Amino acid sequence: MTIQTLDRAPITRPKSATPWRRNSATKRISIVLAGTLPLVITIFTAQYFLLPGATALLTVFIPLQLVASALAAIKVGGRRGIPDAILTVVVLSLVSLVVIVLGSVLFNLARKGSHAISRQFLFYNSTYVTSSTSLDYGGVAHAVIGTFLIVGLAAVVTIPLGIGTGVFLTETRSRMRGPVRFISQAMSGLPSIVSGLFIFSFFAVAGFSVRGGWLGSLALLLLMLPTIARLSEEVLKLVPQDLRAAAMALGAPRNRAFFQVIFPAARSGMITAVLLGLARIVGETAPLLMTTVPTNGTNYNPFSGQISTLPTFIYKWIGAGSDFSVQRAWGAALVLMILVGTIFVLARIFGKQKF
Amino acid sequence: MGSDVTKLERVDLFAAKPGRGDRIFFGFAGLAAYFSFSIVFLVFIFLSWRSASTFQEQGLAFITGSTWSAESGTFQILPMIVGSLVLVFLALIVAVPSSIAMAYFIEFMAPKRVARLTTNIIDLLAAMPSIVIALWGAFIFTPVAAEWGKLLNHYFGSVPIFQNDVDNYYRSPFIGGWILAIMMIPIITSVSREVMSRVDKELINSAYALGATRFSAMRRVVIPTARGGILGGILLGVGRGLGETIAILYTINLIFHVNIFRILENRGGAVAPMIASFYGEADEKSISALLAAGVVLFGATLLVNMIATYIVMRSEKKMAS
Repeated sequence: MTIQTLDRAPITRPKSATPWRRNSATKRISIVLAGTLPLVITIFTAQYFLLPGATALLTVFIPLQLVASALAAIKVGGRRGIPDAILTVVVLSLVSLVVIVLGSVLFNLARKGSHAISRQFLFYNSTYVTSSTSLDYGGVAHAVIGTFLIVGLAAVVTIPLGIGTGVFLTETRSRMRGPVRFISQAMSGLPSIVSGLFIFSFFAVAGFSVRGGWLGSLALLLLMLPTIARLSEEVLKLVPQDLRAAAMALGAPRNRAFFQVIFPAARSGMITAVLLGLARIVGETAPLLMTTVPTNGTNYNPFSGQISTLPTFIYKWIGAGSDFSVQRAWGAALVLMILVGTIFVLARIFGKQKF
Repeated sequence: MGSDVTKLERVDLFAAKPGRGDRIFFGFAGLAAYFSFSIVFLVFIFLSWRSASTFQEQGLAFITGSTWSAESGTFQILPMIVGSLVLVFLALIVAVPSSIAMAYFIEFMAPKRVARLTTNIIDLLAAMPSIVIALWGAFIFTPVAAEWGKLLNHYFGSVPIFQNDVDNYYRSPFIGGWILAIMMIPIITSVSREVMSRVDKELINSAYALGATRFSAMRRVVIPTARGGILGGILLGVGRGLGETIAILYTINLIFHVNIFRILENRGGAVAPMIASFYGEADEKSISALLAAGVVLFGATLLVNMIATYIVMRSEKKMAS
C-alpha cells in the first residue's frame, strides 16, 4: 500500500486573520479619523458657505462620511470591507433620519404646545372664544371630554366584538376562520375617511340625523375592530394548548374554560391589544370631521347635539388662521400627544408581562 | 385473523351536547366574527349604492376627466388619482430604503438595548395621530422642504421633474411625498422587522462562517429570504399612503389639473384629502360624487391590502415550515 502524499503548499495565513490581536495603532487612528473628520469638515464648510444645517448634512456630510468610512474599511479589513462600511453608514444615516424626524415632531410639539398650556387651558372650555381671543381665555376641556366620550363609546362596543372575533379564530374549528382572518387583516387598512363616508351614507339613508357624537363612535369602531381582533387572536394563540386540554379534562364547559383559564392567562396581552386599539383611534380626525359638528361648549351627551373632540378642535383652529388659533392648535396637539403617549406607555407596561 | 376484528359501532365522542352557556358563548363569538367579516361588504355596497347616480351620469369620464364643477354638474377626479399615485411613488423612494434600513438596524446591528429603544421609536411614530403630523408638516417642515425644493430647482432646474414655472415651492407634491413617507415608514418597518427576525439565524451564522461579510450576508441571505414579507409590508404601506387624509390635506394644494412630473410646483392632488376638503360645503350631487370617489379609494386600498395580506401570510407560512 502506497502512502499518498499531498503535495500542497502550506496555506498562508491572510494578514487580516488575526482576530486575537488588537487593532494596530494606525488602524485605530484611521477609524477615529473616519469618525470625526467628515463632521469637522462639514461644520467648517457650513460656516464658510453659510449653508443651512439640513443641506450641509445631505450634500457634504453624508458623501464625505461614505468616502471616509470606505477608506478606513480598506485600512482595517481590506477591499472586502468597503461594502460593509458603506452599508453601515447608509443604514445609520437612514435610521438617524427617522429618529430626527420623530425628535423634531416631539420637540416642536413640546416647545410650541407648552406656550399655550396652562391650568385654565386644561380645565376650561372655549365658549365665546374666537380666532382673535388671546390665550388667556378658553381651553380644551370640552374637547378632552368629547374625546373620552366618543372613544369610550366606541371602545365599549368594539372590545367585546373584537375579542369575540379573536375567540372565533382561536377557539372554534369553523371553516370560516380563514376568510374571517383574511378579511379582518385586510380591513385594518381601511382608510379612515372611507369609514366616515360609510357611516354618513348608511345613516343618511335610514333618515337619522347625519351628524352626532355616536356616529363618530361608530366610524371609529370600524377602525378599531380589526386591530383588536387581530391582536387578541395573536394573544390567545400564545396560551398553551395544554391549559385548554387541562380545563377540558377537569370537565369544564368551553365557556368556563375560556373565562376561568384561558382569558386570565392572556389578560395582560388582551389589555395591550385594547390599548393599541385605543391608540389607533384616539387621534383619528377624518371620520370625526364627517360625522360630528365641533362646538365651543361642553357636551356630556354623545347621543345628541354638537360635540367637540381634540382632533376636530385642532383642525378647526388650524383653519382659523390667526396666530392665537394656531397656538391653540399646538397646545391641543400636545394634550392629544400626551394622551396617546400615556396609552402607549401603559400598553408597553402590560405588554411586557409575557408567560 | 383479520376477519376476527369486530367493527366498532360509531361512537359519539361528545359526552353531552354543548350546554346553554357554550351555545351563547360561541354564538356571540360567531356573531362578532361574521360582523367583522361582513362589514367590508356592507361598506362597499352602501357606498356604491349611494354613489350609483354619479357613476351613471359621469360614466367612465369620472376617472378619466379632470373637471370638477358643482355648477355644471361635472365631477371628474383623474388629477386626484394621478396625484395620489405620484405622492405614493415619491413617498416610497424615501420610505422603502429607510424602513429596510431601520428593520436591518434593529434586527442585526444594534445592541439589544438600542434595538428596543428603536422599536419603541417606530411604534410611537406609528401611534402618532395624523393631525399632529399635519400640524408639524404645515408649520415646521414645509418651510424647510420648500428651501430644499428651491435648491433642487436651482442646481438641477434643467431636469424636467425639477422645473418650476410658478415660483412657489410651498404645498407641492415634493413636500407631500415626504410627509406621506413619514406615515408609511412605521408600517413597512414593523412588517420587515417581523419577517427579518424569522430568517433562520443558523443560515446567517453559516454565511459568516463561510466568510461572508455583513453586506454579502444581507444581500445573499437576509434579503432573498425576507423578500416576500418585505414586499407585503411595502404594499401595506402603499395602502396606508393612499388612505392618508389630514396630513396631506395640509401639505399640498389640490388642483384639478393633471400634474405628473412637476413635483416642485404647488399643484398636486390626492383622493382622500379631496373628499375631506370638499365635504363641508357639498350639496346633494357633489356628496354623491364624493361618495363615488370614496368607492374608488376604498376599492383601490382594499385591493392593495388584500394582495399585501396574502403575500405576508404566505411568506409567514413558508418561513414557519
